[in-house]
Amino acid sequence: MNLMLNILLNVFIAFFIGSILIGLQRKIMARIQGRPGPPVIQHLLHTLKFFIKESAFPKTAAMPFYVAITAMLFVIWVAAVIDGPVTEGSLLLIFAIYTIQKIGEHNAGSSSGSPYGKMSCVRAVYSAAAEVPLFAVLIIIYLKAGTMNISSIINYQSIHGPLLFTIPLAAIMFFVLILSKSQYSPFAITKGKDIVSGYETEHFGLLRGYLMISESIAWYMLLWVFLTVFLGPLSLPAYLIGMVVLSAIVAFINAVTPILNPNHSVMMQVSFAFIGIAGSIVLLMI
Amino acid sequence: MVVSILGSQIIGIIPLGDIVFYMTSFNLFMFAAALVFTFIIAISKTETQIEAEFGSLGDREIKVAKKEFKFRRFLAIICGLATAGAMVTGDLFDFTLFVCLIGIVNIGIVGAVKQVDVLDSAFQYGLIAMIASTPLFVGASLILAATGTISILAINSLTYTTPMMLFGSILLFLGVAGETGVAPFFATKAEMFRTPGSPFLLIIHLSSLLIIVRVIEILLIINKPF
Repeated sequence: MNLMLNILLNVFIAFFIGSILIGLQRKIMARIQGRPGPPVIQHLLHTLKFFIKESAFPKTAAMPFYVAITAMLFVIWVAAVIDGPVTEGSLLLIFAIYTIQKIGEHNAGSSSGSPYGKMSCVRAVYSAAAEVPLFAVLIIIYLKAGTMNISSIINYQSIHGPLLFTIPLAAIMFFVLILSKSQYSPFAITKGKDIVSGYETEHFGLLRGYLMISESIAWYMLLWVFLTVFLGPLSLPAYLIGMVVLSAIVAFINAVTPILNPNHSVMMQVSFAFIGIAGSIVLLMI
Repeated sequence: MVVSILGSQIIGIIPLGDIVFYMTSFNLFMFAAALVFTFIIAISKTETQIEAEFGSLGDREIKVAKKEFKFRRFLAIICGLATAGAMVTGDLFDFTLFVCLIGIVNIGIVGAVKQVDVLDSAFQYGLIAMIASTPLFVGASLILAATGTISILAINSLTYTTPMMLFGSILLFLGVAGETGVAPFFATKAEMFRTPGSPFLLIIHLSSLLIIVRVIEILLIINKPF
């Protein structure tokens, strides 16, 4: 297939499936809490709605930085799709993209001048300190598979079996990271409802649309990376089933767990990261 | 000859005497990201922070003064360029120098503000950054002593890891963690972000995270898998 067409198709799939999975999460959470909940396509509709709404810009915003940060967030997740499903390139590059996404969260919040955004920005700095060590799970994958190339990791698993069974602690660490990125998770301190919508509070219209597209693609990509590097070569239906199952598990945890305060959230994530890295290294050495 | 680093092919090298810059897709992406953010910072205004006024129903606006703005913008650009350099350098000692420069300008970026809490946290971060420079350079020196080279490309071609290389790597990581103020040293640094001047604060956060990602790449190159 033509490379450009392949990229466009994969970005569309990532956005569409990501949006539906986020909608599914909200539906499952609502049913667990005894509410009817929004339709599964609600997140998708919301995203499209923002593209036809009027865009307003706060007069206190840091221009053009306030606008550029939304475009940057969108571009880096498109880059993640190119590096992931399209070319099966470097896993380290996806790590880099994830860290830049944290910077996007931080500055989307602070660039508006809103106190809610600012609070979300400070929390993003805290959460980066916890989530980046969790993403360091990739080191364990490298120590086991001997490569950071996604296609080589898939080949390794087709010969030696899924990494999920050989480095389970690393898989748990990555799952905690996925949980952290879901909207209503106990670790979602940057978007806690105590600070309205966190870093998204002061972004309206088109800019909010781009933020929501990035969110959907990010969710799809995190699930894709988990399934690819821990379960190996999978068929398309297996990917879909895997993503639905992971989203349902995350929704169940979110529905029954309150949001933690920032300090507890960070300490819990760091503890998971420490136990995961140290435990995995010990398991690899035995 | 096709050379690969951690499974990624090298796209190109830029030899500058002893110092060789190399680029894989990973390095190139981070280099480009650092430069794009630096450019946006260079052309951006700062935000006006709105806070509730104590004892009345009014709002209080906190702005960055013009003189302070120029000073902080200059340091932010230096920080961005140093970060971009650290992303592509193939020389371990050069990398440690870039990290040190980033630590110094990070303090300078918030050192110009007039909020006591922010200055306190910048002072504490400065102390940690100064202390961290010792393990940073000792780590690089031990790796040089153990391998006979500070070229990351040359270290990449080695097939073994000695205990001294591992010890040097641990010290290098501790040094970078202190210089960039990540966990467990992040508590002092997070308070620095309460000040206005969003574009300049971005570069502090950006440099820390990108340096951490790069140092992980370097440590994986030095320490071979089981």
